[in-house]
Amino acid sequence: MGESFFGLNIAVRGLFSAQRNLDIVNHNLNNVNTPGYSRQQVVQVAARPIAAYNGTGMIGSGSDVVAVNRVRDEYLDFKYWSENVSYGEWDAKMALLSEMEVTFNEPSDSGFTTILGDFYSSLQELAKDSGSPAVRSLVRQKGVTAAKYFNSTTTHFDNLQADINYRINANVKETNSLATQIQELNRQIYVSELEGNSANDLRDQRTLLVDKMSKIINIEVNEVVVGKLSDGREDKHFVITVSGKAIIDHFNISKLAVEQRKTKLNEEDIPDLYEVRWEDGNSLKVKGGELRGYLDIRDGNEGGNGSPLYKGIPFYQKKLNEFVRTFAMAFNEGDMDYNGDGSIDMTSSENGQGYVDGFGLDGLNGRRFFTILDDTANQSIDSTAFLALSGATVRDKYKNVTAKNIAVGFEAMTDYNTIGASDAAGETGNINVLGKLLDMRHDAQMFGVGAPEDFMKSLVATLGIDSQQSVTYSNSQLAIIKQIENKRLSDSGVSIDEEMTNMVKFQQAYNASARMIQTMSEVYDTLINRLGLR
Amino acid sequence: MRITNNMLINNMIGYMGNNLDRMSKYQNQLATGKKISVPSDDPIVAARALRLRTDVAEIEQYQKNVKDAQSWMQVTEDALAKIGDVLQRSRELAVQASNGALTVDDTKKIGEEVKQLKNQLIQLGNSTYADRYIFSGFKTDVKLLNDDGTFAIDVNTITENIKYEIGVGDDININIAGGDLFNNGGDAAAGPVPGKLIQDFNSYIAALDSGDHNTINNTISIIDVDMNNVLRTRADLGARLNRVDLTSNRLESDNISFTKLMSDNEDVDMAETIMNLKNEENAYKASLAGGARIIMPSLVDFLR
Repeated sequence: MGESFFGLNIAVRGLFSAQRNLDIVNHNLNNVNTPGYSRQQVVQVAARPIAAYNGTGMIGSGSDVVAVNRVRDEYLDFKYWSENVSYGEWDAKMALLSEMEVTFNEPSDSGFTTILGDFYSSLQELAKDSGSPAVRSLVRQKGVTAAKYFNSTTTHFDNLQADINYRINANVKETNSLATQIQELNRQIYVSELEGNSANDLRDQRTLLVDKMSKIINIEVNEVVVGKLSDGREDKHFVITVSGKAIIDHFNISKLAVEQRKTKLNEEDIPDLYEVRWEDGNSLKVKGGELRGYLDIRDGNEGGNGSPLYKGIPFYQKKLNEFVRTFAMAFNEGDMDYNGDGSIDMTSSENGQGYVDGFGLDGLNGRRFFTILDDTANQSIDSTAFLALSGATVRDKYKNVTAKNIAVGFEAMTDYNTIGASDAAGETGNINVLGKLLDMRHDAQMFGVGAPEDFMKSLVATLGIDSQQSVTYSNSQLAIIKQIENKRLSDSGVSIDEEMTNMVKFQQAYNASARMIQTMSEVYDTLINRLGLR
Repeated sequence: MRITNNMLINNMIGYMGNNLDRMSKYQNQLATGKKISVPSDDPIVAARALRLRTDVAEIEQYQKNVKDAQSWMQVTEDALAKIGDVLQRSRELAVQASNGALTVDDTKKIGEEVKQLKNQLIQLGNSTYADRYIFSGFKTDVKLLNDDGTFAIDVNTITENIKYEIGVGDDININIAGGDLFNNGGDAAAGPVPGKLIQDFNSYIAALDSGDHNTINNTISIIDVDMNNVLRTRADLGARLNRVDLTSNRLESDNISFTKLMSDNEDVDMAETIMNLKNEENAYKASLAGGARIIMPSLVDFLR
């Protein structure tokens, strides 16, 4: 045995090791509910032994704490980020599509089917008693209800589009804020780790921020080796790229920005929608995350005009417009584009009898039941004003009709006796024109997909199928996310039982080392106080 | 696998959320009585529901149309029956008046009654249904006959057919044009010349006034021709009414079967849904109880 007080030194090391371990147990227990926290472990090794001078062996010198590591499987983080991108996209779509479904309000007793059905029922009543003021007033009212249905549906879509636009802006801002925080953490982590320590808690924080960012936008995360540090370890830079361009590259940041579009992408869009791009002016193609979901729903028009290949708000707006244009033209003029060539052949059966050919009780014809709303006067325009709208032919003037502005014409609004059912003046019971209007309800060629109600039905079914698909995708992505999340918690989460066990373990070790000091003290007491000095 | 406290808590929250989600689904179904509330619940059912709603609403409208058609035609039928009675009485009087033993005074008295019968005819020609003149063709707001029996308006027997829709692409002509009845199948034309029926009555009355037995005798066969004309229109109307009645029956059974289809398609089976709800409720209670047991204790509770 060498120097006299060596035993005390070993015991003190034991106390220090046990204390450090207890500190970490304490830290873990403190953070049991901290989001993103990974439990930490003390790396404890036997201290460097000392060779005895006379060759009798190596003498142990106690224990040493060499590092504190976090328990983390980073592969799970990368997996989480890539799956979260897809979850964010479908989760956003699911929420928005279900809102759109509610807009159509089908199947219900107040949806389109009922409203159009009621309108036709009122026309049927008119056919039976075309002179009755009560029935004429009913027809006008049901016509107004039908027109208002389209006005309000399309307004709701406009509002939703504006709302999504706002959310896109908020998302871009949040991405930038997250990027700024990650950039700052990168700096702190890099500096702390230069000395070889692992910046556990800072890394946990950074992972949590990347988790959040991965839900918003498609990101790819890498720790890129750029060289060697002076002590021989790899010099790693933390890089996050979005669609090929780095948003975070070590200490550098490229922010995203929004810019109001000067020209509309789809003609149905509300004005001044945001385009998402890089702050430095480069264009950005968002491929995933909530942002992609929002953009798809806000701009999606089946790929037309370079819009996303998805059926979003512009698609449904376009379809509603197509419906009111075709329906109003058929109803007013009796003209239907049977062969789908985009124009009415005036010499064929495409040119039929319509409302305009019908004589009212006042003996006049040439009115139009559906015209458009004049915003300034806040009332519908009459047939003369309608014919004064832009467009070379009467058919072309229907391009001015949209779901937003369709209204019952001024003549019918002011005097229901103008409603034209007869094909000759002064014949109250003559309903020859009205009969043609009623037949149109079952004209399977009015739209590509069939009769008017078939068109709307297929529109609602399309939305239902897309919405159902988004629910399915979102749910299955969520299941994957939860599974990864569970795996992470299983690896990195704090187990109170485990920590308590450790606490007991290290407490005992501490107690044992303390006991060792007492024993050594007794040994020295014997040696110093009781030997020889009698 | 290593299990940590937060895993247990997260799992428990997740499972309870799922339980509640399913419970709310069944609760929704019970409250609305419908299997689906938005198309995405089941797009196929939703599309079919829309189709069936339209079908049922249409059938109901056709049923209303059929009822109105029946009323109109029954009023017409009544008028025709009365016209038949008038003609029958006129014929009896003609037989009576053709007796050569009657003096001019006698035939004049008969003539007075025939004049009344003619007036009755004119009134019947102006019969209305819900304030609409049933024999006036498309001009339902104008009388067919003037008081002297001449036509007040033109009515085209061929074209002025009032049609009610009683099925998809299925129209029924509900009216009889005035000319058909009063002008022996021809058109009605406004002017000083009355239709054949009234003309016949006019010459009949003239013969009675002058005691012209020969002409009165001829009148019997003329009235027979007129009665045949009325019978013809009545038979025609009867056939149409018959078709309407058949359609009415068909619509009624259609309505029942389509309503049933609609119900089968979208209505929930209450018993089944209540059972499912109960089942979910049990699962929910069990997960709450299990959760309470799992979350509570840890080693902390046992260390002294």
